[in-house]
Amino acid sequence: MARLHLFWPEGTPLPRLEALDIFHIESGGCTGCALELASLSRALLAGNHPIRFVSTPRQAGMLLLTGSLTVGMAPVVELAWQAMPGPRVLAVVGDCAVDGGLFGGNYAVLGGVGVRARSSVSLPGCPPAPDEILAALVRWQTTEGER
Amino acid sequence: MSVEVAALIRQGAAPTPCAGRFVLEAEAWQAMIAGLRATDLPLLGLWSDGVQVHALFHHDPIPLVASVAVSPDGYPALSPVRVGAQGPERIIHDLWGIPAIGGRCEPWLDQGRWPVATPLAAHRAPTPGLPEGREFIDDAAVRQAGGTGLGYGPAEGNFRAPFHLRLGLPGARIEAVQPCMGYAHRGLAARLRGLAPQQAARLVARIDAPATVAHQLAFARALHNATGTAMPAQDVAAGVMLGAMERIATHLDVLAQAGAMLGDGRSATLAASMLEQMRQMCRNVCGRRLLFDVIPPAATFPVRVDGAQLATLAAEHASLHRLFWRPRGLAAQARGKGVLSATMAARLGIMGGNARAARKGQGDVTDRLEVRLGEIGASLALLAAPPESTVMEAEGGGEEGLGWAEGPAGLLWHWLRLEAGHVAAWWCGDPSLALAQALPAILSGAAYEDVDLIVVSLGMSATGADL
Ligand code: SF4
Repeated sequence: MARLHLFWPEGTPLPRLEALDIFHIESGGCTGCALELASLSRALLAGNHPIRFVSTPRQAGMLLLTGSLTVGMAPVVELAWQAMPGPRVLAVVGDCAVDGGLFGGNYAVLGGVGVRARSSVSLPGCPPAPDEILAALVRWQTTEGER
Repeated sequence: MSVEVAALIRQGAAPTPCAGRFVLEAEAWQAMIAGLRATDLPLLGLWSDGVQVHALFHHDPIPLVASVAVSPDGYPALSPVRVGAQGPERIIHDLWGIPAIGGRCEPWLDQGRWPVATPLAAHRAPTPGLPEGREFIDDAAVRQAGGTGLGYGPAEGNFRAPFHLRLGLPGARIEAVQPCMGYAHRGLAARLRGLAPQQAARLVARIDAPATVAHQLAFARALHNATGTAMPAQDVAAGVMLGAMERIATHLDVLAQAGAMLGDGRSATLAASMLEQMRQMCRNVCGRRLLFDVIPPAATFPVRVDGAQLATLAAEHASLHRLFWRPRGLAAQARGKGVLSATMAARLGIMGGNARAARKGQGDVTDRLEVRLGEIGASLALLAAPPESTVMEAEGGGEEGLGWAEGPAGLLWHWLRLEAGHVAAWWCGDPSLALAQALPAILSGAAYEDVDLIVVSLGMSATGADL
């Protein structure tokens, strides 16, 4: 596996991951959360893990939002959600997406999707670190599996 | 001729509290426009505070700002003589409702979804809104050729800020490009108004994560200039170090993405691995992987980073360099793609690494990646042997200040005016706005598959361009 320091220095053993295809939309933040997601995505790819980020909502089972949801991005998010087939879930990552964070509602921003829609995964932080994001996804998978 | 235009600006009637800013009468502004026609004095930014419009020019040793009062009809446009003024003029119209006489007034940020028109103006009007979004009209060449119109963004499943490009492909190559911005606009100028500088600094740090240190530094410099207080040597030294760490991380991110896009797994993996080490180093030094809220630095900020970690990174940088230049490596694969010529860079006021790449070679993706690689090496050397820093004296001090810093994608600027210790007006000039305006020229002739790579190599970030 590539020496990605996400699991560094000792290499924390990962729990069993279930397959999950995630479509990510940066809906108007500073892209800090997106950078951490990019780190996570690289580590997952390098480790051949079954959680992966995909480039179209048509392939995805999870819509993962970062950013404070600008009025320009709201219809884009809606279209992506509609384009997702079958059972789908919403995840909000970072303070911006959870409740607007530092970018609360104004003329250009709706202030986070977390307060407007029911999300399966909601992870605050500005930004949360990649291992925290992964832990949140795994936690959700585990509780989902028990149901 | 540049000297003459600069002299003309300096003759501006009223001296202002901001060093290097001069207020021109309407006739002098017109004379400046006429003078600009014959010179290449680069325009770096254009903004308004509702009462005046300010134009920032690159001029040694200190930048020059020419201001003109806004009349009921607007202000004479700079875009006929400086193409880079087009975007800012349209933004000023979107935010303030102030038209540029002789310029274009189509929306740049406002796609018709804001609940109010001219959100920064004293009297804001409600807008009916355009729920269908904006209409694109294909260019004649594309229509005649019966070609395809393809969209790029705002949601590609990647990890970058949203914007949209409408691309016209009469054949296999892109011919027409219409950028549509505003998706990432968060209304920062409205948010900063009335905030205490410390609160404002937290927002400024979150303008654009890959360039957060540069934004924090430029804002801090503007604040020091506005308050007439010198920046202590320790803060200057911390700024240099943190800036170098940010540059290394952001450049590595670009190289990792470029490697992955071009199918060069070895380069991509090495760059990604180095990037993670940098993030780890940032966490060790500042307690956070991304360098938010680090300026002014904590009193305990270390002056040196771990030497062993630096030595490892330096060795890996040498390997990355070898991989880059190997036969069929990144350099060979990216050659000729996404050319930003030196002339175009100068015309649009593009500075920093992108401009250096344009002057160095033909200005393609390879040149830009090479410049980034070089800057990683230089920044690592700087971290290993930090230069002596001295106090940065304040310029001005009359409650108004301008500050700058070089971010990973180029020079960026912050200007602010204080009233009773709070931010009364603020502007930020991010290199991404000029890059967004350059995209039609850069992408013309490119293949659709290369759009992502070209945008990444430029370091363009819609969140910095839209604010
Ligand atoms: S939560 Fe923080 S890091 Fe994430 S996008 Fe918002 S401002 Fe940036």
